[in-house]
Amino acid sequence: MSWAEIWPLLWQATLETFQMVLPAALIAEVLGLALGVLLTLTRPGGLLANRLVNRVLDAIVNIGRSLPFIILLVLLIPFTRLITGTSIGSTAAIVPLTIAAIPFVARLVDGALYGVPGGVIEAARAMGASTGQIVHKVLLPEARPALIQSFTVMLVNLIGYSAMAGAIGGGGLGDLAIRYGYQRFETDVMIATVIVLLLLVQGVQWLGDWAASRADHR
Amino acid sequence: MSDIALSPSTLPPSALPTSAVPALQFIDVRKTYPGQAQPALRDLTLIVPRGSRTGIIGRSGAGKSTLVRLISGLETPDAGQLLIAGQDAGQLSSKARRERQSHTGLVFQHFNLLAQRTALGNVTLPLELLGVPRERREARARELLAQVGLGDFAGRYPAQLSGGQKQRVGIARALATDPDLLLADEATSALDPETSAGILELLTQLQRERDLTLVIVTHQMEVVRAATTHVAVLDAGQLVESGETRALLGHPGHEVTRALLDAHRPEVQLAPGEVLRHVNLKDLSSQTLAALAGLGARIVLAEAHPQGVDTWLALPEAQAGLLAALNLQAVGA
Repeated sequence: MSWAEIWPLLWQATLETFQMVLPAALIAEVLGLALGVLLTLTRPGGLLANRLVNRVLDAIVNIGRSLPFIILLVLLIPFTRLITGTSIGSTAAIVPLTIAAIPFVARLVDGALYGVPGGVIEAARAMGASTGQIVHKVLLPEARPALIQSFTVMLVNLIGYSAMAGAIGGGGLGDLAIRYGYQRFETDVMIATVIVLLLLVQGVQWLGDWAASRADHR
Repeated sequence: MSDIALSPSTLPPSALPTSAVPALQFIDVRKTYPGQAQPALRDLTLIVPRGSRTGIIGRSGAGKSTLVRLISGLETPDAGQLLIAGQDAGQLSSKARRERQSHTGLVFQHFNLLAQRTALGNVTLPLELLGVPRERREARARELLAQVGLGDFAGRYPAQLSGGQKQRVGIARALATDPDLLLADEATSALDPETSAGILELLTQLQRERDLTLVIVTHQMEVVRAATTHVAVLDAGQLVESGETRALLGHPGHEVTRALLDAHRPEVQLAPGEVLRHVNLKDLSSQTLAALAGLGARIVLAEAHPQGVDTWLALPEAQAGLLAALNLQAVGA
C-alpha cells in the first residue's frame, strides 16, 4: 500500500483510539481514585479502619484485575448495551475499558497513598483535621507525583487494551494492525501502526514523567 | 503557681479561678493498647502548671509517646482523667475535641511537614483546616515565619531547608492557631547539638513572650536542664518524681533520674583522688574561674544555654564539698 493510502487509515485509527481511551481514562480515574482512597482509609489502622469493607473492596479489585480484558469485553456486552444502547463501536468500547481500568487505578492509588508518611497524617489529625480534610488537603496533594505516575501507567495500559476493542468493532490502532497486517498480510500497515503506537506510548510516558517530576517537591 | 505533682484531689478544677487551673492534669490515667499485655501508662498522676516550661523525661518505653498522644487528642484514657485547661479530654464531643486540638500546638521529632507544600503552605495548614480566609492565614503565617527567623524562606519547600529550619517551620505551624499549650515531642532529637540549642532557645523565648505552657518531652537530660522550669520523670508508665528543675536535678531522689543524669556524664580520665561534679553556673566569669582554680578544679565540659553554663568539673575529692560554699549551685553529682 502507498503512503497516501496508509496515512488516512492511520489517522482515522488514531482518532478512534483517542475516542475510546480518553473518556475511559477520565471516568476510570475518578472512580478508581475514589475506590483507592476507600481502600486506603479502611485498611487496618487507617482513618476509617473496617476489616470487612476493606476485604470486600480488596476482593473486588483483585477479581477485576485478574479477568483477562478480552473476556471482560465479552462478559460486559449486556451491561454495555444497557449503558450505551449498543454493544459495538468505539463508544461501546469505552464501557469495558473503563471497567477494566477502575480496579487497576484503585490498586495504584492505594499504593500511592500508602507512600504518604504516617507522621504527616498524624500531625493533621492532631491539628483536628476531619477525615475528609485529611484526604483533600494531605493525602491526595502529598501523593500527587505518584498519582500522576499511576495515571500515566493506566493510560499506557488502556492504549494496549484498546487494541482488543477491535473484537467488538471498536476500531483503533490495534484493530488496524490486526485487520491489515495480520489478516491481509499488509506488513507495511502493520509496521506503520506499531510505530504510531510506540510513539503514542512513549509520548504519554514522557509527558507523565515530566508532569510527575514537576509536581514533586521532595 | 502550683508546684508540679500536687495531689490532684486538693485542686478541684472547677473551684479555682482560671489562672490557677493547671495546663494539664493527669489523674490516675491508665492506658493499655489493644494486644499489649503491659499498660503504657499505669495510674499516672501528674500536674503541669500553667505558664511553666515542663520537661517530661524518661527512657524509651516510659510512656512518653502515649502521654503525647493523649494530650494531642489522638488517644483517650482507658481509666482516670486527663484535664486539659480544666476540661476532661476523655469526655469531649468530636467538635469540642477538634476545638481543643486547635489550641494545642505540636512540634514533632521528624518535623512532619508536608513535602509538597512550601514553608508558608505548611504554616497556613492549621488555619486552612479552621476555614480562615486565604489572605488572613497567609498574613499570619508570614508573621510567624518572620518570628522564627525564616522570613525569607516562605516560598521554600521542606526539601530545600536544613533540619533546624524545618523545625522552625514546624514551630511556626504549631503556633498558627495561637495555642495556649505547646507540646514539643523530642523536638531536638533529630538535630545536631548546636541546632538543638537554637531550637530550645527559640521555644523558651516564644513561651515567655506568649505566656504559653510549654511541655517538652525528651529522653535527654540536657534538654530538660537547658529549657525547663519544671520536670517530671517517668518510668514504666508511672511518675517517679517531679519538681522544679533546679531543685530536682540538684537532688535527684530516684535512681531513674540519676541514671538519666549520668547518661550525659562526659567520658573523662580522672586522676587518683579526683571526682567528677556537675554544676550549673550563671556564667563563666573570671571571678568564677579564679574560684574554681582555687579549688584545683579542671573544667571537663562546659555548655552554655539560656539558663547558664552547664559545667562538668574534675576536682580533688576533698574540695568537692566546697563548691556549695562558693555559691555555685551543684546540679546533680
